[in-house]
Amino acid sequence: MNRARIGGMGIAVLVILASGCSSIGVEPWERDILAKEEMQLTTDPVEAAIDDHIYFSKEASSGGRGFGGGGCGCN
Amino acid sequence: MADNTPKSISAALAAATCSLLGTAPATPVQAQEEPNWEFNTALLYYGENDDRVQDLSLNILARRLFVDDRSLTLGLTVDTLTGATPIGAIRQNVPQTFTRPSGSSAYTVPAGELPLDDTFKDTRVAITAAWEQPLGRLWKTSVGFSGSQEYDYTHLGLNGSLSRDFNARNTTVSAGLAVAHDTWDPVGGAPLPFAPMLDVGDTGNKSGSETKDVIDTVIGVTQVISRKLLVQLNYSFSNSSGYLTDPYKVLSVVDGTTGDTVPRQPAPGAEGPSHEFRFENRPDERSKHSLYGQAKYYMGGKVLDASYRYMTDDWDIDSHTLDLRLRWPLVESHYLEPHLRFYTQSEAEFYTISMVDGVELPRFASADYRLGKFDALTAGLKYGWKTRGGKEMSVRAELYRQNGTIPGDLLIGNQVGRETYPDLDAIIVQFSYRFSR
Amino acid sequence: MKLYRLRHRSMRTWLAAIAAAQFLLFPWAPDAVSAEFGIDQYEGKVVVLDFWASWCVPCRRSFPWLNAMHEKYADEGLAIVGVNLDMERADAEQFLQEYPAMFTILYDDDRQLAEQFEVVAMPSSYVIGRNGKVIARHMGFKVKQQDDYESVIVDALREPGNGDE
Repeated sequence: MNRARIGGMGIAVLVILASGCSSIGVEPWERDILAKEEMQLTTDPVEAAIDDHIYFSKEASSGGRGFGGGGCGCN
Repeated sequence: MADNTPKSISAALAAATCSLLGTAPATPVQAQEEPNWEFNTALLYYGENDDRVQDLSLNILARRLFVDDRSLTLGLTVDTLTGATPIGAIRQNVPQTFTRPSGSSAYTVPAGELPLDDTFKDTRVAITAAWEQPLGRLWKTSVGFSGSQEYDYTHLGLNGSLSRDFNARNTTVSAGLAVAHDTWDPVGGAPLPFAPMLDVGDTGNKSGSETKDVIDTVIGVTQVISRKLLVQLNYSFSNSSGYLTDPYKVLSVVDGTTGDTVPRQPAPGAEGPSHEFRFENRPDERSKHSLYGQAKYYMGGKVLDASYRYMTDDWDIDSHTLDLRLRWPLVESHYLEPHLRFYTQSEAEFYTISMVDGVELPRFASADYRLGKFDALTAGLKYGWKTRGGKEMSVRAELYRQNGTIPGDLLIGNQVGRETYPDLDAIIVQFSYRFSR
Repeated sequence: MKLYRLRHRSMRTWLAAIAAAQFLLFPWAPDAVSAEFGIDQYEGKVVVLDFWASWCVPCRRSFPWLNAMHEKYADEGLAIVGVNLDMERADAEQFLQEYPAMFTILYDDDRQLAEQFEVVAMPSSYVIGRNGKVIARHMGFKVKQQDDYESVIVDALREPGNGDE
């Protein structure tokens, strides 16, 4: 598959998701479970960095993981 | 509490007032009850089979919290690496001698063994610093720096990110950018592309140091699906340019019919390679696209973390990664966390086992097993607990296994049956300690 | 000195403008709000309605400030009502053991109050003037903006009961 097309598709998917997601979700007071430490996208940044480094050294792929979002949604 | 009568504020207030009367009057709580510092430390041991790489590392992350969700995170990693790594040359039925990268001595590999270079005793120090803060109510930003130094490699990088919440913070859109400038200062100098391995003391095949520039971008959407389900989808693009070759890896030059490595005589009185070897050469540019999805699902106390990543690049490598973790709470704040990771990649377009003697040189070639075709499986278990003082500790042990295949069309003559992918078996043990003050 | 007073005055104007804008932009019918909430309880008082939950860290940060406001202005007619939105009552009660509240706590079990006030952030606080109308809404709690929050309360306390906002 053409690389540029994959890039374009990737961005298109994300834009569609972001705009189409306006009705999905929970009320601000329903985020008790999402606020728990074990429900964060990266529960242990040191372990994630260690794993990323190991697999980067032994494989041809790296990264991909993102950041932000989820949690208690406070402030 | 099953009072289903229509909301009566007065009644509710009365009940609320009762609860207030029940508590003894207390002095107002002091404002700064939150910790100022969060520390996250880990000690890691990584060890491969057959005298290959062993790594011991100490990782420390210290986060200083400031008022209103601002923070400074400082990280330090110190690793010591020992052990040997496959240099890319194929096995032979006779002993083989190689000149070390420094060019100052040679070493011999017994017949039938996979050639490994054990000059890798190295210490690496890496530091990171990041500042995060909200911008207004709905935006968040971070800026950071990363740097690392080992005896032959320096990395310097800057990164930044921006994110914005939508839909009462159910949706978060984020974007990140990282740039890096790395320098290779290989022992003995970077070899010229496809330069032959020369006798001890002969440095005509080497030049000096080389640099590499990397740009990484990521955009993502995080979406709360329900009270118990959170998902994230990211698209990343990475471009590397400059010196992307591994300066220590070689390819065996073989006879086009037998597939055996062409023998060689060092100069009279000198030590040197017993066979013909050429240093590898990779393109000076690489673009990678990745699509990554992650879901966290709460199941009555247990949390399932599942992620999938698809990567494709212009070296023709495609990979799929599936990572599954299940946090299983036990009594008090103890938990068990089994982990499974499945990985598969296809070989790079210029990946090969050997170079045929007398044939025109290809543009690029590498026999580095990490660019080959293989599957990998990680299986691990982590056990965590909270101490009486509120500190968190955990220990994890994992097994990592790589199983590769050499595409049939790359094997020539006697190589068939003799050459196999250098399968990797590694053990990972980590002890973690987290606390705040 | 002069510079400080000027800044303070323009901030108050800014806050009043925001309050007015929110008032106009959001389809709250002030009278309906007053009636349902049972504002008659607090007739003539300035009410701060603060929506919180035990798992919300900024809510935890706001408690000392709410307690301080209660201590300072209760005599002048300030009534603070902490509306709890925990899913489990036990979590709220445990929180209150660790972080006691000097002000009234209300448990909004069926979320009627939260929906009525269209709570879109945690914590959210609404300042209701002596005349029963909502003067201001604050989404989130920023320690650095405590003084601004306080000045909104002080201005509300200065207004007489039947005044027009």
